[in-house]
Amino acid sequence: MSGLKPGEVNLGTSIMAVQFADGVIIGADSRTTTGSYIANRVTDKLTEVHDTIYCCRSGSAADTQAVADIVHYYLQMYSVQNGKPTVPLAATLFQEMCYQNKDNLSAGIIVGGWDKENGGSVWNIPLGGSLHRQPFAIGGSGSTYIYGYCDATYRDGMSKDECIEFVKNSLALAMSRDGSSGGVIRLAVITEQGVQRIFVPGDQVPVHWEG
Amino acid sequence: MSIMEYNGGAVVAMVGKNCVAIACDKRLGVQAMTISTEFKKTFQATPKTYIGLPGLATDVQTLAEKFRFKVNMYRLKEEREIEPRALAHLVSSTLYERRFGPWFVEPVIAGLDKENRPFICSTDLIGCINFAKDFVVSGTTSNQLYGMCESLWEPDLEPEDLFETISQSLMNAVDRDCLSGWGAEVTVITPEKIITRTLRSRQD
Repeated sequence: MSGLKPGEVNLGTSIMAVQFADGVIIGADSRTTTGSYIANRVTDKLTEVHDTIYCCRSGSAADTQAVADIVHYYLQMYSVQNGKPTVPLAATLFQEMCYQNKDNLSAGIIVGGWDKENGGSVWNIPLGGSLHRQPFAIGGSGSTYIYGYCDATYRDGMSKDECIEFVKNSLALAMSRDGSSGGVIRLAVITEQGVQRIFVPGDQVPVHWEG
Repeated sequence: MSIMEYNGGAVVAMVGKNCVAIACDKRLGVQAMTISTEFKKTFQATPKTYIGLPGLATDVQTLAEKFRFKVNMYRLKEEREIEPRALAHLVSSTLYERRFGPWFVEPVIAGLDKENRPFICSTDLIGCINFAKDFVVSGTTSNQLYGMCESLWEPDLEPEDLFETISQSLMNAVDRDCLSGWGAEVTVITPEKIITRTLRSRQD
């Protein structure tokens, strides 16, 4: 568990975002840890930076909150001066912060949102500050356990409900194997109409083989 | 990274009215990654005593076998089962033998003596015994267990109530520890019988 200072709060995490026809679906677990203690078991890791642009945060809780707040501010100013921002713009702002401060940050961020020019788009910004547009992206410590599952399950052109099931099942698998992920699943469906939040409590999280 | 937190685990024992209970989680992990959900940490030492061994998993397995050997030898030589208090001292000296290169476990012992009086205790990794009258806790979840037990325990609980109390203490404590959980096993020891139950818990 690198990059974190002693006592710092960790967004261990499993996060995910999937692009579909009308927009994107983003999802995250809800566990925040300090060492092995679960400091918050109902965290909201899906953070709004604009009306239809959200980010999923993983890594240091402090670092990702600070970066998201700054990007939120920049997008507020941009929208007042220039009109609605696009998702690639927001993603580039995140990239700028993460890359230029790479030595001091521990932040893995996935940006997902809808805008008029691009429709839905997903942008993955891993630790070093690189920017990757992907049809779907996974991140956080729990993501390592579901690369195979996601590659095997993802198909182009899935419907909204199929994407929701895909995200729910992937996150459930990651939460089961990764000690730093768990709690409840939070989802957000982002389309031209706005943001619809979905909450999956612990007892409704999909159950797979448990030995 | 602390060696005591490499595999994770939680054990708790409580005293009731003419009975004792011991409970453990079932997770085996390698730091954050969960490897197995069937790694129990309690072992039967005699027909009326159990030992719980949370800590480094390899030492959990090795000491479980060492204590099985020592208890068997005691039975062969003394022609009687070892009493819980004597077992506690046996555990303590086995651990202190390795004072400067210790076994990375912090055992919990629970049982009934020959007059069926309840007995529990715990030791640290080098054998200091803590004789308690109410409850003992050990493992990566010990702080959370202290909070749960201190709030939920009361004296003279009947076996069924003791089962509920120890189960709730363990389940809610491990839900705040990312290195423990993934199932639980609870054993209640009474003069007549021993009942072991497996609890369904959160698998995260």
